[in-house]
Amino acid sequence: MNAFRVAVAVARKDLVSEWRTRELVPALAQFIILALLIGNFAFQVDSRNATAIAPGVLWLALVFAGLVAFGRTFTAEREQASFEAMLMTPASPVAIFAGKALAAGAMLVLCEAALLPALSLFFGTPFSLDLVAAVLLATVGMAVLGVLFAAMVARVRARELLLPLLTLPLWIPIIIAGATAVQAAFGLPGSYQEAIGLLIDFDILFVVLTSLAARFVLDE
Amino acid sequence: MSLVVANGIAHRFGNELALAGIDLVLDTGEHMAVLGDNGAGKTTLLRVLATALRPTAGELKIAGLDALREKRRLRHYIGFVAHAPGLYPALSATENLEFFCDLQDVSRSRAPEALEMLGLGAVARRRAGELSRGMQQRLAIARSILHEPRLLILDEPDASLGADAGELLGDVMRDRTVVMATHDHALANRLCPRTLLLKHGRSHGTPTRLSVVK
Repeated sequence: MNAFRVAVAVARKDLVSEWRTRELVPALAQFIILALLIGNFAFQVDSRNATAIAPGVLWLALVFAGLVAFGRTFTAEREQASFEAMLMTPASPVAIFAGKALAAGAMLVLCEAALLPALSLFFGTPFSLDLVAAVLLATVGMAVLGVLFAAMVARVRARELLLPLLTLPLWIPIIIAGATAVQAAFGLPGSYQEAIGLLIDFDILFVVLTSLAARFVLDE
Repeated sequence: MSLVVANGIAHRFGNELALAGIDLVLDTGEHMAVLGDNGAGKTTLLRVLATALRPTAGELKIAGLDALREKRRLRHYIGFVAHAPGLYPALSATENLEFFCDLQDVSRSRAPEALEMLGLGAVARRRAGELSRGMQQRLAIARSILHEPRLLILDEPDASLGADAGELLGDVMRDRTVVMATHDHALANRLCPRTLLLKHGRSHGTPTRLSVVK
């Protein structure tokens, strides 16, 4: 059984479904822009404090967008019973999980493609490759954890409440490292290299741990 | 040769006993209908046989393999049509089947073959969500035979299929071992020489022509 073929098939299926229905990404992008707009007015941003406030607004928007995006990863499939059909094949649950995480991560990256230019527009912060790299690296860890917990709570009635309760504590290290990297990319104090190193470490750790756990979470 | 051997299969949902010690031996190529009222345990039995549900007690061997330990390996041999079609509404009929070809690790050329067999060639490019309930059911059946399973487990496959359900299912079931739950006793008689009647999770007597279960 070719795990790569399975992961690509699952990711492609999710992305094609999203492209045709456009249920999630446009709404999330809209939400992100609104969050930035509210942040811009609520904090009374000016040229002196913009770089200090912008990283916080960016991560708040990203966290809530991520919770919505990952929370919907399994919901429709559970309701349509297509998830069971997928699990009834000999395909490895780890490969299925990888495909789901890949697709959910890609959808969040699409939202980030709206978020980062909008952040520069509303807060006047510099747009740089360092900023993009920090956000993309954080997305990897957020996606694997978010999709794993979304799979765990998909059958629970209070899943909208449980998902943030389970996910946010484990996202905190990623957000701290990501926020430090973004602040450094904006020219504020902090070591960019150290923060990026930490993000890579967290990504490796969470990819390995969630892959090990996915077998048990998806199999039963 | 026995393809399915079940001993004392039982399952509980909380305090409720859904299956109470079902014994079953099914030889290769046999067709068996599972009959019973709503809540009798038909779906639970079929889900256990399909390895979708782990029984709380009992032993199950399929193709000589322990179904409780080697279920992933066994899924190469099992085709399952559940009560709900379980399709992806935004994907076309062909895309639905091609996706499952990838998951079953079989060639995508199986998709058009299965569509033709189920009479869905004309709607191959239509989205599954736009198909009628009967066509969706045909598509779910097509998906279950993509990997040429030896054991086919069908949960009320005749639901929404229309007048030619018997003929269609007869084609699909040919040369396969089949366990099929249905409320249609006439269809069961036509397609299945063996019948298992369930009442409150227990196997009971013979409703029509029964030779079951030992």
